[in-house]
Amino acid sequence: MNQIKNLSLFGICMAFVVIALGAWTRLVDAGLGCPDWPGCYGFVVFPINEAEIAIAESRYPTFPYDINKAIPEVVHRYFAAALGLLAIFLVYLSLRKTNDKSIQGWSCFLLIFICLQGTFGYLTVSLKLLPIIVTIHLFGGFTTLLLLYFIYLKSRNFEIFNQINISNLKVISGIALAVLVFQIFLGVWTSTNYASLACADFPTCQGSYLPEMDFKNGFNLNQEVGPNYLYGLLDNPARVAIHYSHRISALLVTFIFLILMSRLWFSEAAPLASTLGILLLTQITLGIINVVYVLPLYVAIAHNLVAACLLLATFTVSYLAWKR
Amino acid sequence: MTLLKSYYELCKPNVVYMMLICAFVGMLLAEETVGSFWYLFISLSGIAFCAASAAAINQVIDRNTDASMTRTDQRPLPQGELSATHASIFALVIGILGALILYLYVNTLTMILTLASLIGYAFIYTVYLKRATPQNIVIGGLAGAAPPLLGWASVSNTIEPYALLLVLIIFVWTPPHFWALAIYRKDEYAKESIPMLPVTHGVIFTKLQIVLYTIILFIVSLLPYVVLMSGEIYLFSALVLSTLFLYYSINLYYSEDDEDAMKTFQFSIYYIFLIFLALLLDHFIIIS
Repeated sequence: MNQIKNLSLFGICMAFVVIALGAWTRLVDAGLGCPDWPGCYGFVVFPINEAEIAIAESRYPTFPYDINKAIPEVVHRYFAAALGLLAIFLVYLSLRKTNDKSIQGWSCFLLIFICLQGTFGYLTVSLKLLPIIVTIHLFGGFTTLLLLYFIYLKSRNFEIFNQINISNLKVISGIALAVLVFQIFLGVWTSTNYASLACADFPTCQGSYLPEMDFKNGFNLNQEVGPNYLYGLLDNPARVAIHYSHRISALLVTFIFLILMSRLWFSEAAPLASTLGILLLTQITLGIINVVYVLPLYVAIAHNLVAACLLLATFTVSYLAWKR
Repeated sequence: MTLLKSYYELCKPNVVYMMLICAFVGMLLAEETVGSFWYLFISLSGIAFCAASAAAINQVIDRNTDASMTRTDQRPLPQGELSATHASIFALVIGILGALILYLYVNTLTMILTLASLIGYAFIYTVYLKRATPQNIVIGGLAGAAPPLLGWASVSNTIEPYALLLVLIIFVWTPPHFWALAIYRKDEYAKESIPMLPVTHGVIFTKLQIVLYTIILFIVSLLPYVVLMSGEIYLFSALVLSTLFLYYSINLYYSEDDEDAMKTFQFSIYYIFLIFLALLLDHFIIIS
């Protein structure tokens, strides 16, 4: 049981790294850094010297080789693969070292899920960064993290979690989780449609509180991909609609979280209120910095990771409220 | 019969009923189960007599002003149906009766609190505050907000934080509620030189204050949920009702029509009634 505990904790750290690398890949526009999958221009790692690059470019004449874009993609792939190996090992441990049916079940599910997630990694490349696929791929990443965290909670079996009773937070924590997931969707949709810079000012967007927006095209999930989706294809009003929705929805999230945090404050799990508050404040600040300072790379990656933390924290509250 | 009706009117029955509803909710929320019917009845009648007494005293003191305002000139004293002396004696008798009932059958704390709000409304507000400052109804509203505390104290014999929360809701609700009416009746208040906010600071400023107080009310109305006193039934009711109230007050802010002031006033009455109804429903559905 101890090994499962440690391995799942290590898995959580790994998942954070893989999510960060995924965000990095997206943010430096390296999603098509390798036109093929699982190799990169047919190489196991990526072409380094001139001779290899010549071979690579002769294999894919329509894709000029850029080592700065191949590196993020390949590094992301290998870390993700390592996480897959970890999942296999976790299944092995859970079957050999424990009789806890629930941990065994969830570990197997995690392994299957990571395989699925790998498939979506392949699809992001083969379907040329189609936004809906990239979006699902990121949600898959967050779900992987959540699964590892859940297995960790199960194996760790915190005494304090068994003592706390906050069943009167069931509904509000559920609503908060749902609203947060929706907000994460809008955030990812902003990123995958290259709409992060559609509004360069804050709190106004293009100098107005009600900019010209095109929701029909902005939220058309069956959009055409064209030759590829790198740098996005939507026109400006559609991108503004996506970006501005993410902002307005942030207000809704803040409102719901203020209620949840205040109610938590008066419950037996009061410290979690501060956790949520700090994360939320950090996340909002990072979001504003992203807009005002034109998407600094590390801030944008942090915005992604804090979203994951917020998801874990909100999940924890819901888990405590709904546990039997 | 007409005399009886005059005395009945002297008590401002509509206001007293609303107060009794709030006190009643306070009593029911104070316990997990409904207490004995007889005890609830005797407590409510004690509070009712004191509230009626305060209303009668208010009408005796204000009889000349009331006579020159269309809103109040139908009251029994301006109509000459009762003499000021008879009304004063009546107010004194039911006031003492109410206080005695509370002292003998309920508890001393409730009696003191009830008399304090009687004095607050009938004397401090009517005699002094009303003519002294445009903040008259804000400060005086504390006396009008007391009923849930009185009801709660009659059952628990203590001053509970939750009861004070209910007082806070009515306290914050009173200014937008009353100022909406004051906008509608501003000319009459001006004629009587009563410094109501629309008279002293203008209608636009009053409307802004109404919007601001409604925003505070929105937040305050969520407190019972936040402090784990109530559950989701109350939360959703409060969200819907407060949003509607906010809509009415913002609509009033941009409106040129005084009828919108009347609509806001009328909605505010439904608002406070439904908020307390929601508190009650929530309380008993959670328990059962």
